[in-house]
Amino acid sequence: MKSEPAEPLASEATARGGPWFLLRANLQVLIDELRADGRRVIGPTVADGAIVYDEITSADELPRGWGDEQGPGSYRLRQRDDERLFGYNAGPTSWKRFTFPAVVPLTIGRRDGRDVSFEAAAADRPRLAFLGVRGCELAALGIQDKVFTGGPFADEDYRARRAAAFVVAVNCTTASSTCFCTSMGTGPAVGPGHDLVLTEIDEGFVIRAGSVEGVDLLARLPVRLADAMEIFRASKAVEDVATEIGDPVATTGLHDRLLAQFDSPEWARVAERCLSCTNCTMVCPTCFCSSVVQRSDLDGQVSTSERVWDSCFTAGFAKVAGGNFRSRPRDRYRQWLTHKFATWVDQFGSFGCVGCGRCIAWCPVGIDVRAELQAIAPPLELHSEPATLPPAAATPGDFSTARVAAVRHETADVRTLVMRDVDPAFLAGRPGQFAMIALPAYPPLPISISRFREDAIELTIRAAGPATAAITGLGIGDGLGLRGPLGTSWPLEQAAGRDVVFVTGGIGLAPLRPLVDAVRAQRDRFGAVRVFYGARTPADMLYREELDSWAAEDGIELALTVDRADESWNGPVGVVTHLFDRATWDGSRAVAFVCGPERMMQATADALAARGLTADRVFVTLERHMECGIGLCGHCQMGRYFVCRDGPVFSLAELGDVFGREGI
Amino acid sequence: MTASGRTERSVEAREIADVVGAIDRTWFGAAFAPETQARLAALARIVEAPPGTRLLREGEETEDVSIVLAGRVALRMHVPERGVVTILTVEEGDLLGWSALVPPHTATSEATAVEHVRLLSFNGAELRAALRADHALAASVYPRVLQAVARRLSATRLQLLDLFAAERSTSERTPW
Repeated sequence: MKSEPAEPLASEATARGGPWFLLRANLQVLIDELRADGRRVIGPTVADGAIVYDEITSADELPRGWGDEQGPGSYRLRQRDDERLFGYNAGPTSWKRFTFPAVVPLTIGRRDGRDVSFEAAAADRPRLAFLGVRGCELAALGIQDKVFTGGPFADEDYRARRAAAFVVAVNCTTASSTCFCTSMGTGPAVGPGHDLVLTEIDEGFVIRAGSVEGVDLLARLPVRLADAMEIFRASKAVEDVATEIGDPVATTGLHDRLLAQFDSPEWARVAERCLSCTNCTMVCPTCFCSSVVQRSDLDGQVSTSERVWDSCFTAGFAKVAGGNFRSRPRDRYRQWLTHKFATWVDQFGSFGCVGCGRCIAWCPVGIDVRAELQAIAPPLELHSEPATLPPAAATPGDFSTARVAAVRHETADVRTLVMRDVDPAFLAGRPGQFAMIALPAYPPLPISISRFREDAIELTIRAAGPATAAITGLGIGDGLGLRGPLGTSWPLEQAAGRDVVFVTGGIGLAPLRPLVDAVRAQRDRFGAVRVFYGARTPADMLYREELDSWAAEDGIELALTVDRADESWNGPVGVVTHLFDRATWDGSRAVAFVCGPERMMQATADALAARGLTADRVFVTLERHMECGIGLCGHCQMGRYFVCRDGPVFSLAELGDVFGREGI
Repeated sequence: MTASGRTERSVEAREIADVVGAIDRTWFGAAFAPETQARLAALARIVEAPPGTRLLREGEETEDVSIVLAGRVALRMHVPERGVVTILTVEEGDLLGWSALVPPHTATSEATAVEHVRLLSFNGAELRAALRADHALAASVYPRVLQAVARRLSATRLQLLDLFAAERSTSERTPW
């Protein structure tokens, strides 16, 4: 059922893209042509009382004559009094379901005796065509393009799926009460990034091409030139929708306004209603947080790791072995809202919201993000400047394998594994960087590299749960999966010619040890070097046998303290800051490197400030929940940073007032 | 009062300059005006105590307040069935026996030298009298004493959090 475009005029030669006119009855030809190109066509269809996106083969499956009524916490289909195919508004599904599926297999890990192996899992990535992508939704795809492919690390699965999708967009000629695309600058007219764009009027569609592929396809459709009245009615319908929506969210200065409201009482107020159900993030077309889960056979020999959708509203999203950074719903709501409307700008150059209104309609308690923005950060005249991100490390491959060459017992529950046969990239790693390490059947976890050797690296790990227990239980010759080295490193060059202060507690000495090694290797380049190390008890101190040699051989002042001790310990007792609270040395020439529990680092920062160390010369390394290690899964977000990619090492000046703030 | 091996003597006139220098090298005394340092030096005694010397007994009167010049003193509390627990150690520059200046002048913990200790000690009653009589001296000394006690309080709070225990495990199960 192909036909040539009617009346091809010379004046259109330069404008093969249109505008053309396609009869509603001929939309089936478009579907057929897309399918003839080997594509599965995904389009709107009525299912379960809503309009959802699913595979269609016929225009009859489109929601002909269906519209909807939406409001906070409410969505109802309603019959229209016309034959419109696109007379509805955004429903519960978004296109990310197809570009960023809810479950994607990543790797298959196998354990065979002492050997471990990891291979990429096969992924099904069909050629797709999206029919009916709205302006806000196209903008959302553009935003996820930036998140997944625009940074130093890319999600290759997303890139492949996105490249294989043909986009037939639709200008909105209808709006719901939940829409605010006009405020976010994403609609109702479709922006760039489509192959074809339709505007529905009574008899059919005004159709234009937006890409070479779109022009090619258009040439195979039974279209004629659109007449002036059709073009006018189409553009008028879209303009009317823009007028109807108005400008419900004042975005000018929103970034700065929101970030000035970390302590607003409104967070607690909205949290009284918020159920932390994650609906808003599931329906959101830009939310991209994910986790990596292990699907293991019963004896743990073969496991598939899968990337699955996750949400910053889940209780465990920001959890680490020692606690939870965002334990309260108010913290999670603040994280979500400040990310969408402020720190997303810093990270990706645009808001993380396109104004589709899904989060409003699908919130079971009817929280309206527009009203919350107004209550928390009411408009005032301010201008925001996107911040620049610090450089990140090179893209890692998938898990490489390495072997345990030696195991040292540091304390009752801490082991240092010496790993040989590591990917050479690790040997070129820098102090402060970490590795994602994995055993099949256990979740990967971030571990700081505690020493770089000529042919090996060391990992110091505390057995805090099943995964770390399994890893610390490995013996000589056992294999382990590694990715990295990842993250930023300690900026040792900034300490050249200065005094150096290390303050650390517990297992926090591990990420600092390669830095101490580097200082020892070039001891002449630094002034006085002081190490202050606190542990819970004398038996909890790491690297006991080598600590003394730091002082004896390299002129490092070493001070150890413990939180509690019996009479057999004659050394200092008290928190680590007590070691230098009473000292008289001047810190105004010093650079400090600090690692330990966050609360300890805060107290240390205060004590160092009293010694004259300014925030730009105090560096800390942060612990956060990490799944991907390259800034794509969202777990480790802290304000405008992804700790895994932009950190884990930061100066206090970089962190500003988010450091030590509860619930960030 | 002399415990086993403990010696003490007054500061002789020719030593005053040395003692002023010693005060000036400590966190406690460095910020004092020279006349305050000199006034304190004139009131001071030098106390030497070998390891194991019990310098304070919990609940008993604190006779002296001291600045530690060298060595380490453990502040300990006895808990029935748990034994002796060291809460804090004080070292060079720290204040020992602040309770001599604060009613009811009783020691809040036991203090035992764990190394050979050299103290610059002030009789509590004498120093209190001097501080009552000399408001300028009191205005210098009391804030510093209060700061030392406040630091102990903050540090004790941090200790109470038992941060490294939290690092080890949580009440909830985690997969890591």
